[in-house]
Amino acid sequence: MAKLGDEVAAAMSPTAVALSVENISSLDASDVAAIGAALREQLQHHSFALPAANSTAAQSAVPLQLTLSESASEYLWVVQIPGDSAGTNSVPVMMVSVSKSNFPEAEPGEQSLSLEKRFVWKHSERFLDFALLKDSSSGQSLLLILEARRLEIYEPSGAGWQLSRSTPIPPMAALSRDSEGRISLKEGKIWFKGFECVGDPDLTGVVQCKISPPNHNIVERMTIPGLPNSLGTLVYGECRGETISVYTGEGDWTQTDFLQGYLISLGPISAVAVGDAIQVRGPVISLQPERDTSAVRAIIRNLKTEEYEAYIVTATCGN
Amino acid sequence: MLRRLAVISALAAVAFAALPARSARRPRHGGTLRVEIGASVASLDPDVEAATAEEAAAKWQIDSLIFDHRDADGEFAGAAGSGPFRVTAFEAGKRAVLAANEEFREGRPFVDAVEIAMGRGAHERLVDLELNKTDFAQILPQDARRAAELGVRVSASQPDELLALVFVSGNAAATSSARTTSQAPGHAAGQALSLAIDRVAIVNFILQKTGEAAGGLLPQWSSGTAFLFPAAAPSPADLEHAKELWKQIAPSAALVLGYDSADPLEQSVAERIVVNAKEAGMSVRAQAMPGASAGADKSRGAAGQATHVDVELVRWRMTSPLPGVALKDFLARIFLGPLVGVEAGAFPEAASPEDIYKQQRAVLNTYRVVPLVWLPQVYGLNARVRDWKAPGPGGNWPLADVWLDTETPTPAQTPLPTGVR
Repeated sequence: MAKLGDEVAAAMSPTAVALSVENISSLDASDVAAIGAALREQLQHHSFALPAANSTAAQSAVPLQLTLSESASEYLWVVQIPGDSAGTNSVPVMMVSVSKSNFPEAEPGEQSLSLEKRFVWKHSERFLDFALLKDSSSGQSLLLILEARRLEIYEPSGAGWQLSRSTPIPPMAALSRDSEGRISLKEGKIWFKGFECVGDPDLTGVVQCKISPPNHNIVERMTIPGLPNSLGTLVYGECRGETISVYTGEGDWTQTDFLQGYLISLGPISAVAVGDAIQVRGPVISLQPERDTSAVRAIIRNLKTEEYEAYIVTATCGN
Repeated sequence: MLRRLAVISALAAVAFAALPARSARRPRHGGTLRVEIGASVASLDPDVEAATAEEAAAKWQIDSLIFDHRDADGEFAGAAGSGPFRVTAFEAGKRAVLAANEEFREGRPFVDAVEIAMGRGAHERLVDLELNKTDFAQILPQDARRAAELGVRVSASQPDELLALVFVSGNAAATSSARTTSQAPGHAAGQALSLAIDRVAIVNFILQKTGEAAGGLLPQWSSGTAFLFPAAAPSPADLEHAKELWKQIAPSAALVLGYDSADPLEQSVAERIVVNAKEAGMSVRAQAMPGASAGADKSRGAAGQATHVDVELVRWRMTSPLPGVALKDFLARIFLGPLVGVEAGAFPEAASPEDIYKQQRAVLNTYRVVPLVWLPQVYGLNARVRDWKAPGPGGNWPLADVWLDTETPTPAQTPLPTGVR
């Protein structure tokens, strides 16, 4: 808002102005009032006078209109002299753009969670995690498959994927019968129990590992009323203003499983299952959040084929 | 007022997208999705050039179903059948049958097959939708309301196609005697026309409220600044101003307004403009021109030079929802067409909203491009089609995500109560 105030001050000499605010964006009334008040404060800071609407001083004040608008990607706050439709006024149209993430979306009404799974890959050998990414140089889709002792990179080939190269993971700890590993594309890292690896220049290059500091990457599990005692993860995004999470069933690895969406509220902390669960053909053995999207990566051991299957499960909040 | 319009548009969109009550069920696999298109696609090979813009658009949609990805130039690459579907039958210009690709790496589509009937006219498509002979077909924006009244499920995208007037470069004879020498040829005539045209009436009566009046080169939902380019109905003062401008020009002959002879919407709009112009004391004559088939993305310019016209109607589809990308594409057309020879102002690669606003203002102040209305892409859907989402600019039909609710009785299948015939 300071930038918009500065622009007005640069375009006009300090004088009495009558500021009107029009909202044609999805912002709610409280945000609109707060933004209008912030601009008024900025104008006063620049020595503009803002006479009361019904005062005699207001009749001679220069009219200024603040319009709160939004584009496909951001909010736009626009100040103009009303009636200057041709843009020919000596005072130019002034605007600032503001990220939509600065304003939480208005709370929707009766929204529900719907889970949708999309098959990505399968393999007879167990793998710990997977990730879909674009090659930074060619723009080509790549599939990373993390195994206990190597990271494999697959490229699209016909209808499926073909192994392009395999990067060994240096042994930093004794191989566990219950290995766990996680790919974090955002951080460019792979996490294992007790050690972590980084790629050079990224995970499609050479991988170097080091022992993690003690207690690093260990998350204390918190019991949340309503959540099952099973595998689960938080999901990027919100629904009804609450945090989305996805949890599995509570069976063991000899049983079929399901995935269920939950909404976690913070005051008091509790979780409620929302929407229908989706059934899967075997136990979910890994569940990791996808970056920047309301989805999780799930690895399922198909009890019928005994293969390991990778899925992207998307949580959609809608009516 | 703008906010009210936005609310009304949103309500209309919701009404158009309204689904049957039992829409929350899980997707089902199976069934054949019947699709009808207007174009006749001669070949699905990306290397074979389409004969018309309409064919190119339809071919692009089908290719997006059978090819997995595109190369850096945006052309489809790889093997046909690597996408969600593979072609099992193809009769050039008549029909194509696509089967679900079981091995598609993003997952098998829900439907087993897509059957595409080509060369179906707009009226035939509408009738087939009404009679449940097809599941999915694009319909003309001006037919959307009638389709809904006939009981067809209608889905409309955000408005992403601009219908505009452009002055034809080199054919400015009617405006060359402008007395205001500081103005570029066509400036006064363009300004007079822009003031005289009732865009709101075009939206309300010709388009039956399916669309939005356009004052700028980008729609409000994309740029956020369309409200700075008003498109209200002309006031008496606007008409007086238009008359004054026209008197200054004093052309020896009527302005010739060209429109695509195969496009009924363009014809209706052209005739309406002639009436609007007459109300402002201007002399404008509508002239049909041979062009691409209706509904295609048209950017003629050259056609206007072959048949003598001073100004012509064009339809420009946005290629991206991002305002900077979409405007850059429009500017390329504008500076090759109505503003050929005019030096384009700097337009940065990562344009800010202010850059985008200023660039639009600069182009519109020449009055050689006069925006009229924004049109959405409108689709008719059978009641059994689920999870359809109208794609945005540059997007393809997401038919791999669509599933068929085989338990939903279509009106033709609904048993009549006893005694009703």
